[in-house]
Amino acid sequence: MSTYWPWWAGAIGLALVTIAYTLATDRSFGVSSAWDRVLHWRRERDLERLEEEFTDERALADALAAATAEHFGTSPSAPTSPHSPYEQTQPQDPNVEPTAAESPSVTTLRPVPVVTQAALLVSIFLGGLIAAVTSGRFELRFDMGPGFQNLVTANPTTMIALLFVGGVLVGFGTRLAGGCSSGHGLSGCGRLSPVSIVATAVFFGTAVAVSFLLWKVI
Amino acid sequence: MRTRGAILLANIITGLALGYTVTNIGFGDYAELNRMFTFQDLRMFLAFAGAVVIIVCVFALLRVRRTHGRIHAGVIPGAVLFGTGWAISGGCPAIPIIQVASGYLPAVVTIAGVVVGIRLCRWANARYLHVDSGSCGL
Repeated sequence: MSTYWPWWAGAIGLALVTIAYTLATDRSFGVSSAWDRVLHWRRERDLERLEEEFTDERALADALAAATAEHFGTSPSAPTSPHSPYEQTQPQDPNVEPTAAESPSVTTLRPVPVVTQAALLVSIFLGGLIAAVTSGRFELRFDMGPGFQNLVTANPTTMIALLFVGGVLVGFGTRLAGGCSSGHGLSGCGRLSPVSIVATAVFFGTAVAVSFLLWKVI
Repeated sequence: MRTRGAILLANIITGLALGYTVTNIGFGDYAELNRMFTFQDLRMFLAFAGAVVIIVCVFALLRVRRTHGRIHAGVIPGAVLFGTGWAISGGCPAIPIIQVASGYLPAVVTIAGVVVGIRLCRWANARYLHVDSGSCGL
């Protein structure tokens, strides 16, 4: 069994993952958002279909305007295409940089297709499995390891209850805050987004306080 | 223009690399996580902070567009709930996946909790909270 990576290797690895994803997709990457969209895939699928319809209608409107201009020899007026489901309606200020919800031009960037988010979650599992097997750390066990037993509980029933409650808090909290350690912590802080810096400071600070309670008090 | 196939490939490669990296750093190990949060061992904290520093520098160099997300009413309470859940269960939304992949079978319960929490948040938000929490994952 090998030891864990040194801090600098971990830093380079996490940075490479975040930077490569951002450059490849032009979007921030967040695991809680992927979970949210995959869990609500029906609504996401409907939105994607709606968006495709709007895209087709916009293409049709552009073609009609061009044909009209050619026929009458006038310049086509701006097509009054319908708003897409993801489109922002705020006025555009040329001095304001586009936000995460806006593309560099007028309309917002569409979220990546929900199927790609499902692929992300499955790939995280496969990547973890490859790492655990190749490092010799893979071991099927029915507990969460000696650390959890010593610091939290060794009772299996209490362990199950705490893991479930902890999971609910993580799921609810990340969606309420709009991101998690990857979305706010890596992508958001990397972009120096104030909301991400605040969220990361608060969730990290809270985790520190609760961990000290578990370690020293409970 | 990113095609659907290119985005799918990017997500698969990112998922594999993230799972591999996070597992090898030790984020799936509850004892290591507690040592990070109680500052007994700064290795994982430095890995995270170091990654943020590298990302900030590279994004600045490449002029990646910044975001100006609004600090809405859900940020602080949500982050408090998340931090509490992370310290108790040892899982942020990606970690229980790699815990199961590493053989920690009870982490399936954490995943079930995350699923319930996410659905509960959307339901509660639509019905009671009405917080426009946005998304960092666009």
